[in-house]
Amino acid sequence: MNQARKFRISHFVIWSILAFFIIVYGVPLLWLLLAGTRTESSLISDTPLSFGSFATMKETFLNLIRYNSGQVMTWALNSVIYTVGSVTLTLLACIPAGYALAMAEFRGRKLILILTLVAMITPSQAIILPIFLEMTFLGLTNTYTGLILASSFFPFGVYLAYIYYTTSLPKSVIESARVDGCGQLQCFIHMGLPMAKPLLALVAFFSFVNNWNNYFLAFILISDDSKQNLPVGLTTLISASGALNAQEAASNLPVGQPEAIQAAILVVLPIILVFLVSQKHVRSGLNAGAEKG
Amino acid sequence: MAQVSLANIKKHYGSVELFDDLHLDIASGEFVVFVGPSGSGKSTLLRMIAGLEAVTDGVIEIDGKDVTYDEPSDRGIAMVFQNYALYPHMNVYGNIAFNLRLAKMPKDKVHERVMDAARILRLEELLERSPAQLSGGQRQRVAIGRAIVRKPKVFLFDEPLSNLDASLRTQMRLEIETLHRELGATMIYVTHDQTEAMTLADRIVALDYGEIQQLGEPDELYSTPNNAFVAGFIGSPKINFLQASVVEVTGHSVVVSVTGTPNERVVLRASGLHVGEKIQLGIRPEEFQLATGSSPAGVLIKGHVQTADRLGNITYAYIDAALDSLLTVQTFAHRKIKTGTEVILTVPPVRIDVFNSKGIRCSPAK
Repeated sequence: MNQARKFRISHFVIWSILAFFIIVYGVPLLWLLLAGTRTESSLISDTPLSFGSFATMKETFLNLIRYNSGQVMTWALNSVIYTVGSVTLTLLACIPAGYALAMAEFRGRKLILILTLVAMITPSQAIILPIFLEMTFLGLTNTYTGLILASSFFPFGVYLAYIYYTTSLPKSVIESARVDGCGQLQCFIHMGLPMAKPLLALVAFFSFVNNWNNYFLAFILISDDSKQNLPVGLTTLISASGALNAQEAASNLPVGQPEAIQAAILVVLPIILVFLVSQKHVRSGLNAGAEKG
Repeated sequence: MAQVSLANIKKHYGSVELFDDLHLDIASGEFVVFVGPSGSGKSTLLRMIAGLEAVTDGVIEIDGKDVTYDEPSDRGIAMVFQNYALYPHMNVYGNIAFNLRLAKMPKDKVHERVMDAARILRLEELLERSPAQLSGGQRQRVAIGRAIVRKPKVFLFDEPLSNLDASLRTQMRLEIETLHRELGATMIYVTHDQTEAMTLADRIVALDYGEIQQLGEPDELYSTPNNAFVAGFIGSPKINFLQASVVEVTGHSVVVSVTGTPNERVVLRASGLHVGEKIQLGIRPEEFQLATGSSPAGVLIKGHVQTADRLGNITYAYIDAALDSLLTVQTFAHRKIKTGTEVILTVPPVRIDVFNSKGIRCSPAK
């Protein structure tokens, strides 16, 4: 009886907290999705969470697409290129680095770990200038390669990989592989990689979110409009079209608040989709059975 | 089959010296067990033979070849780990075949070898399963299967049964024994379980603090332990230790007074002791006899039964004789042994192991 009541109270607390966060974070998101279906005037006059129409949504979307003869799509494509490039490079660098830091004993290992941590907590604004100078020196500003290189620097991924390998990969499995004839590299390829699927998903996801939302680096390194990514493009779109302030509009394109809202959805949607797909891979149950159960 | 030889082995961890000049020769086809408590260095020794741990100094030879600095895979060894160390992302077949595939053996040959191993270890039905779907015993069999297919010169076992429950442990122990008989391979086995050591070993290496305390056949370690450590470590239930002091020394016999008992003058065969030396008397539980009537010669202890474990065929009685610890006595006299019963125990002097103040054996072999 007493236990049942305790159970109910704890459930109540948990659900209250969840409900709070759903309201705080979920409602704006819901508003965003609904607002994409409404006209400019409906946004002002109707109730906040009302639904417009699919026809309006389509019309708005077409307006968005037609902006500067499809520039939004160019930005979206650029975002895909930057993100795919960076995520790939990040995985290629972070996973082996974390593995080496976790598994191998070498001179300077501790120092590298500390530097990784320091780099992790350094705000990106602090290193933007050196990165810009570096890229200018290499002649890589305003290029795809430059932005991909600069945003592939992901110390958090290295640290995540290091933590994962030290805690989730049994040392005896690696030793067993060594006895079976694996060298260092083979140990990584045959054991480290296949046993780290949750890690790959996790690092890829974080790196994806970082790169897809990458505003600051893109804003600094890319000056050519046609090479911008979505986040920077979105601000260009808003300021150029006067979506938020009609008086200051630089043009009289049919791009208003609903178009800006749909552009924002274009930025948010892939993240939600990627999260839904990758979250089920982020499980560490894979290693069950390697050691005693 | 191959002999293993360790010479002048040193192992230091920083300033801590675990092994200092250790020598050990293991004959071809021999089953040698390293026993010792935690921290005795038994696992480290095995891992040095495997090549998973570097030696500070010394030479390790397997089959006459110096392998001291060779990679584990180049030493012709196979190892079975305490926690199985199966590859969780491969099924049983993949686990067993992994080494052969790495060695680029032709597919049909791999299949043949894996099936052979699976048959020996009764794993045929389980080949498609993943390690997570296996029981502890099955996992350990897969780990052993992985070792067998390589046809190694030397098998190394690092406490392979300590994660299994008691009945499974006995069964797996018998399987390893059979395996040794069938393959005739050299096997080195590390355990802290002295039953495993006694039943499996051709020879036992008793280790403590990185030193070989005794090397010999199981019976030899049991009946003639070199020192109090070996006496205390080998044997279950444990040997009883009585404190005593030397009263008189004459040739190869000494007169001792046993602390806490009415034994003022017991004559024992021992040498190398001096008058006044504090010594330990080691008495196995089965050496006690329940005395009736007049007191015979030898050690005589009076006490009462505190508890008795009746195992059916034998009974272990724990006797409170007002000594440092309870005495364990093995007896067949079931009915007489009840809690609270007063008993008089005797031990023939020749059945007593005498250890000097440093714990070294001073009495001749029984």
